[in-house]
Amino acid sequence: LPAGLSQWFPALEVLDVSGTGLTEMGAELLSLPCLHTLLAKNNRLGGPGSLPKGLGQAPLASSLRVLNLSGNRFADVPPVLLRLRGLRSLSLGGNRLHSIPPDIQELRSLEFLYLGGNFITSIPPELAKLPSLKYLVLCDNKIQSIPPQLAQLHSLRSLSLHNNLLTYLPREILNLVHLEELSLRGNPLVVRFVRDLTYNPPSLQELAGRTVKTRNVPYTPSDLPETLVRYLSLASNCPNPKCGGVYFDSCVRQIKFVDFCGKYRLPLMHYLCSPECSSPYSSASQSSTSQSESDSEDEASVAAHRMQKVLLG
Amino acid sequence: FRYTRNLVDSGNGKFNLMILCWGEGHGSSIHDHTDSHCFMKILQGNLKETLFEWPEKKGNGEMTKKSERVLRENQCAYINDSIGLHRVENISHTETAVSLHLYSPPFDTCNTFDQRTGHKHKVTMTFYSQYGERTVC
Repeated sequence: LPAGLSQWFPALEVLDVSGTGLTEMGAELLSLPCLHTLLAKNNRLGGPGSLPKGLGQAPLASSLRVLNLSGNRFADVPPVLLRLRGLRSLSLGGNRLHSIPPDIQELRSLEFLYLGGNFITSIPPELAKLPSLKYLVLCDNKIQSIPPQLAQLHSLRSLSLHNNLLTYLPREILNLVHLEELSLRGNPLVVRFVRDLTYNPPSLQELAGRTVKTRNVPYTPSDLPETLVRYLSLASNCPNPKCGGVYFDSCVRQIKFVDFCGKYRLPLMHYLCSPECSSPYSSASQSSTSQSESDSEDEASVAAHRMQKVLLG
Repeated sequence: FRYTRNLVDSGNGKFNLMILCWGEGHGSSIHDHTDSHCFMKILQGNLKETLFEWPEKKGNGEMTKKSERVLRENQCAYINDSIGLHRVENISHTETAVSLHLYSPPFDTCNTFDQRTGHKHKVTMTFYSQYGERTVC
């Protein structure tokens, strides 16, 4: 960037340097107090010096709203980028990212995040801490699973997951009440019902913990070592509404199919307290296929209210 | 947050002329064309068209891809139900795309297909805008 930029154009609000072969953007940016949109796509950015060092302290840190760095060579997200507290829209599509830094949660104002076309293999649960995120694009990556915490993205309207390596989704995805669009095509989603994927039998500690919780055995912090008090506080409730069970570390991972909008059957991963605890409608001896049918009907009515448009394609 | 369909002209009921605006990564489902002619011209950017065979009557397997191509600016394409089904996508993560579509006779419902199973589902198509005015629904 030319050195005199902020002197010639002190009132600059939008700067588009896309397709110019830029390899770095330096301090010339820092003294543009009115800059809210910076478009630098299709360049050769990605190495050191791609973004100026003092970015976190500059007025730009709170005034920049839109940053487009798609089509560059970023192999990781520069830490200084995460200091842009006012950023509403960030695009890093078509770069060389292998992961998303957990500190992405610092971009508190982010509403639009485009990370399609990278080499991302997993999503950090911290991504779910972005309170204003409305539009999340993760298509064309190598993602194998979605953390259930993503269901905490209460503002999420649109989620793009197509062309990844997903075999199932966490059932918590049903909690995204504002989600209007979901793209899932091009994932090796499990088509057939898969029963009881894994079950590690519970330890004695787990069994004792479950009994304390389900029988409401009273205890105070002075009764138990601190580690056990903490352990007992980590109990998860079995999602089966007819089972009052809890579990700590040992649970059954089971795939259930849910009909969305009466159209598509999606495999959702359920964590249940035991293999016997499977569905409100089942009995222990039921076959797996009939079980999946009745489960789907039950969940379908819940899902149909929650999700409006599913783009499986 | 998905591609928009913007009606430009309804040709006295004989055709629909519309402009589709595709954001980065936006794609359509696999769909048919309800016995109509469909012409498409790329006005800006590039769109990938993947052709599929019609699934078997009791389709229960992955749909068969016939061919795929990337249509460049100013290129035209044509399809109708006897040719097959297609999916149209903007596969760019950096550029948007704009296409002009002519359907004759006009239609507002079509079938979308699940690529994994061949199951079809009838859908009603909606417009984001008509004659420059945002369609609220």
